[in-house]
Amino acid sequence: MFDSGSMTDLALRDSPAGSGSAGLEAGLLPVLPALRSLLPGLRRGQVVSVDEVGALATALVAGASEGGAWCAAVGLPECGVLAAAGSGVSLDRLILIDEPGERWAEVVAVLLGAVEVVVLRPPVRPSVTEVRRLTAFARRHGGVLVVAGVPWEGAQVRLRVVSSEWTGLGDGHGHLRGRRAQVVAEGKGRPRAEWLWLPGPGGEVTVAGITAVDDLEPTVELSVAG
Amino acid sequence: MSSARTLVAWCPDWPVVAVGADAGTPAAVVSGGRVTACTAAARKAGVRRGQRLRDAQRHCPALDVHAEDPQGEARHFEQVAAVVESFCPRVEVVRPGWCAVPARGPSRYFGGEQAMADLVRGAVTALGVDCAVGVADGVFAATLAARQEPAGAVAGTAGAGTGVVVPPGATAGFLAPHPISTLGVAQVRPDTAAARAEVDALVEVVGLLVRLGIRTLGEFAALPAGDVLTRFGTVAAVAHRLAGGLEPRPPATRPPGEDLAASTTLDPPVEQSESVVFAAKSLADRLHADLAARGLACVRVEIEVATEDGRRHSRLWRHDGLLSSRAVAERVRWQLDAWRTSEPGDTDALVGGVVLLRLAPDQVVADAGRQLALWGQSMVDDRVERAATRVQTMLGHSAVTRPVLAGGRGPGEQVLRVPWGDRIEPRLPADGPWPGRVPDPAPAVVPPSPLPAVVTDARGRVVSVSGRSEVSSPPAWIAVADGSPVAVTGWTGPWPTLEHWWDTVLARRRARFQMATADGRAWLLLVDRGRWLVEAAYD
Repeated sequence: MFDSGSMTDLALRDSPAGSGSAGLEAGLLPVLPALRSLLPGLRRGQVVSVDEVGALATALVAGASEGGAWCAAVGLPECGVLAAAGSGVSLDRLILIDEPGERWAEVVAVLLGAVEVVVLRPPVRPSVTEVRRLTAFARRHGGVLVVAGVPWEGAQVRLRVVSSEWTGLGDGHGHLRGRRAQVVAEGKGRPRAEWLWLPGPGGEVTVAGITAVDDLEPTVELSVAG
Repeated sequence: MSSARTLVAWCPDWPVVAVGADAGTPAAVVSGGRVTACTAAARKAGVRRGQRLRDAQRHCPALDVHAEDPQGEARHFEQVAAVVESFCPRVEVVRPGWCAVPARGPSRYFGGEQAMADLVRGAVTALGVDCAVGVADGVFAATLAARQEPAGAVAGTAGAGTGVVVPPGATAGFLAPHPISTLGVAQVRPDTAAARAEVDALVEVVGLLVRLGIRTLGEFAALPAGDVLTRFGTVAAVAHRLAGGLEPRPPATRPPGEDLAASTTLDPPVEQSESVVFAAKSLADRLHADLAARGLACVRVEIEVATEDGRRHSRLWRHDGLLSSRAVAERVRWQLDAWRTSEPGDTDALVGGVVLLRLAPDQVVADAGRQLALWGQSMVDDRVERAATRVQTMLGHSAVTRPVLAGGRGPGEQVLRVPWGDRIEPRLPADGPWPGRVPDPAPAVVPPSPLPAVVTDARGRVVSVSGRSEVSSPPAWIAVADGSPVAVTGWTGPWPTLEHWWDTVLARRRARFQMATADGRAWLLLVDRGRWLVEAAYD
């Protein structure tokens, strides 16, 4: 597992991090460097599903947001805006629609035509027609739809956290420093997995290699998997 | 130039009347936890405008509380406006509950200003609505005249009151004894940042004048106009003209025949109000841009709608250069609503699809001042702006928000959600020392309100925190909301905070904990008066 992590480190050194706004025009919106081994970028018109609302969903859109894209969050009143900002989401280009109500599908359709990325947690279980209609709508208008918390039939990529562990807490002392999480991406082809700091001590999302763990917590004992 | 003769019809406590409260019972309309209007009975019991709801209920426990409903206010006021319109077609709605008509022409027809005032008053009262009427030079003086009236009516026999007429040319003398704080009466309810800034500036000028010993409008009007402008700025100059019974802003001359109205034809005809409102927003944008390009502002805006059957409906709304495009669109929505819900047999009812929408500036004046912020307003992409506004017309103004970082200790307090298009400065600065702030990284899930939790120790007893910030025993299990207990693998705390200690209402002493659980998650917990709450989850 950690081999794949160091491989990514090598791959990252080759490609410059943060492709900037140039990536916006092309068909691929950038993702954070740490996520590149899971998916190369957010393809315009793509639907990506994430198992639950949280750090993974925000980390997924952070790269695009940093690169100049507008993002909208629909139906996520509990979205931790501070954490999102920490992982790289630009608050200047973020629209929140906490309570979309019954007309959520219509709201998402309007937004997909205007902003690059829409993060959605439907307030009710979506019907098959709604899923199909919105998937087609995203493809036609070139917006990326990130669905969190519910299964979505037409999703090309599915991301989920398979295991995670927080570090930094002792027995009555310390404070939360970071979470090592193993994220798996499933789509066409072979599933890919990666260990990430989701988030790291400053809120940033990076690849969690063994060296990084040692640098981070020299004093605290870790039960490192593997 | 002296102002034109104006008749003002004023329905006291309109917001309460519009929600259907009886004037004899104590009732109040509340917005944002504060009383915005109340009935006479409530006033008698000590309820005041601007009071906190809590205080109001202390004065008057039987108070009947209603939520503010601007749309309903506008809709109900339409019947009053229609009655006043039967006397003179140029009715201007200053705001729901308060309208004005030019008095010079119609008063001759109805046999004098006093006769016309009484006729208007009688016609409105016949609707079962309490109404006061005043006639004077200009809307400001006429409103003050109208507001004098109900005092007499209450003292005398009900219904026998008459309109108050200030003779032509006597307006300055009539205004002189009024306290200077009445200048605030002339304000349209502010709904843009610029308008709010203007109201704040006016309040500041009034406060300054009072401290300088100038307590009445007469004393203020006696100051030389040039000195008022140079010393106190344009806001005060406008107020000075008002105090002297003059037109607040001198009319701007412009080449004849120039049409500043913005109109759009809707093809095919549109049935839903929503699409018309959406069109109105961009029309208002165009209107404002046209006016701004010429350095002008308008006192009133006329909303005109034509339907398939060839009928036209129009209504004037007070503008004063203070309304945003969004606010104009909102008035279009109210107006459409009001016309559509008229009586079924009513010939004035709006039926069928809308084919034409026109916004015309009425009485154009030079725009004296007010300026956009120099920085801090990030440019918003056109298409994003359009989409966000469209969602706002679907869900309401405050449903679409942008996050702004603010000061505070908990993760929920550090983010404000500001409605799209508004500009709100956080009350507390985000940068600056916040001792006791929860350390980074920030939690990814912050529920809008904390969830209840049960934290127990290894023997199943609920963990408590003493006044000396000591835990009764180490926490071993957490059950969040209705979930089953999960084992605690690491914990830290308590981090005590005493917040707002200087304020007896807001003051609270609480303690925070971070806990990691066996399922790979972590929590930010809060103990508040012995209760455990989950403030945020770190996943």
